[in-house]
Amino acid sequence: MIVKFGDDINTDYIVPAYILQEAWDKKFFADYAFERYSPDFPKTCRSNPNKDNVVVAGKNFGCGSSREQAVYAIQYNDVNAVIAESFPDIFFRNSINNSFCVVKVESVSDLVLGDRVEIDLQNLVVNIDGTRGRMQKQITMNEEERDLLVAGGRLGKVRERLRERLLATN
Amino acid sequence: MVTNQQTIVEKIVSRAVGRQVRAGEHIDVLPIDKLYFNEVIAPPAIINFQNDFQSVFADAASNSRKKPGEISVWGEGGKTKLKVFDPSRVCFIPDHTVPSCSVKVAQGVNLMKQFAADQGIKMFKEGDGIEHTVVTEEGFVRPGEVVVATDSHTDTVGAIGALGFGIGTTEAEYALATGEIYDFFVPETYKFEISGDFHPGVSAKDLILTILGTVKEGGCSKKVAEYSGDTIRKMGMDGRFTMCNMSVEMSARTGIVNPDKVTSEFVRDTIERHPELSQELSSRMETGSMVRSDDGASYASDMDLDAGEIEPQVALPHSPANTKPASELSDELNVVFIGSCTNARHSDLVEAARIIKGKKVNQNVNLLVIPTSRLVYNWAMDQGILKIFADAGANIESSNCGPCFGKHMGVLSPGDRCLSTSNRNYKGRMGSPEANIYLSSPATAAASAIEGKIADPRRYYAA
Repeated sequence: MIVKFGDDINTDYIVPAYILQEAWDKKFFADYAFERYSPDFPKTCRSNPNKDNVVVAGKNFGCGSSREQAVYAIQYNDVNAVIAESFPDIFFRNSINNSFCVVKVESVSDLVLGDRVEIDLQNLVVNIDGTRGRMQKQITMNEEERDLLVAGGRLGKVRERLRERLLATN
Repeated sequence: MVTNQQTIVEKIVSRAVGRQVRAGEHIDVLPIDKLYFNEVIAPPAIINFQNDFQSVFADAASNSRKKPGEISVWGEGGKTKLKVFDPSRVCFIPDHTVPSCSVKVAQGVNLMKQFAADQGIKMFKEGDGIEHTVVTEEGFVRPGEVVVATDSHTDTVGAIGALGFGIGTTEAEYALATGEIYDFFVPETYKFEISGDFHPGVSAKDLILTILGTVKEGGCSKKVAEYSGDTIRKMGMDGRFTMCNMSVEMSARTGIVNPDKVTSEFVRDTIERHPELSQELSSRMETGSMVRSDDGASYASDMDLDAGEIEPQVALPHSPANTKPASELSDELNVVFIGSCTNARHSDLVEAARIIKGKKVNQNVNLLVIPTSRLVYNWAMDQGILKIFADAGANIESSNCGPCFGKHMGVLSPGDRCLSTSNRNYKGRMGSPEANIYLSSPATAAASAIEGKIADPRRYYAA
């Protein structure tokens, strides 16, 4: 775990609006992650040579604006997952659509910076090996969402639906 | 108890999927009625749509049993052509930073124009207005519809009894291809029942800020906020837009008001301005698209409020839920913004102008007034309302999101103290993270612009 945030981190904090229209490729937004809230975020993430960063947050992570660039900004800083106590729907759906791992657990109060975290989507548990010893936390996630994450999003499904429809009408 | 009583949300989704659904139910495929884009998200969505689906069209064309000339996916010159699911149910509205504030923004708007022309999609012009206002004024979004758009304030369309959801770039790109969204959970509903009359100088914005101050930023998470009661029934459409608009600030899935006489009048006015929509809109209203929650519908939560007890509210830095009565505040200001998709409609400008008329904006304050749409702008010009603001020393800009987006027209410096009628006062939202942003109603903003500090507008209303 590389960074821990509190409650109600909105997507304006994750990536500021002024930059959203300045590029159409996803990687661009990594440099602006948390620019107005926690400006060291990109540097901190990139200083980890293992590139296996996990961000932990409290309730309602990703609230506010629907900007999907918030997902890219985190994802392209070598962050593999966000573990939080809750996510609003838009951010959660945007994350799944980018096969970015977002998992909800009941409490993050006992997670400490530097803890080793392993997310097991098959068994829906987070295994923690840290300063407070070994712990396991249940992930609250329904099967449809889990399967989508494991499958890498829903693009394949959407393409197949479109193809069937085009063939049916042609 | 098993009951067949439904909320308006359950009814709209039931109609969309063609079977009775209940809150909490998972739906594989939710067909949408309308989809709209702003210029922030349309350009990458168009590019991703082309990249992700071009090969599907090519594949479908090569596997077709029909001759090339008979296949609808073939474009000119025998080339397979990408098509959106239904151009008549999509529209593009450049509104966040127009007239374009950077080269890249201008390029994006041009890409939208080109794609819209190619696909037969309606493209609004720069200055036609803020998307959520335009889609309702122009009759593009109607009561009872499932609506998605690339902006979290799509909840605004709930004011006319439509079910509007903000979506990201990828969902929008998929919806553009298929007219569907996927893995949708029918949301539960949080009912806010409001009764009684507002005191003069108090309005919908003070009510929604009061609610936000109580339930906080995550308080309506996963649920739809339904606003009902006699206060809402008596409230004009402008106030309803304000209420629904800020539902997302308490993390609601969306906001909604049950259609009634006020809604019908709004639709009738739309038909008057757009006779070409007359037949379709009238028939939709007759065929029962104006669905309402049943009396016995079940709600996940509810809250009762008395409008008579609401005072002018201000949200302090840096959260829309950080509210206090204006009467307890006197913070000095140097910027006041009356605008945005929250509060820049007819009655908002009327309230603000009534207070400002014949007075001057405080010498320390830069007052920006940005009507929410060209329709409102031109109406306010005809009514002499813009002249009242201009005479007072305000800067009046053509319709766009303005300083609320923090990129265009009034970006804040460190140390600035801005009172805004918009919906978000997050740190850094309107520019520097070292600026302080407050939120209020247009009446409070107008009184504060005159006094140079946060002011209770009630003293401008004769007893």
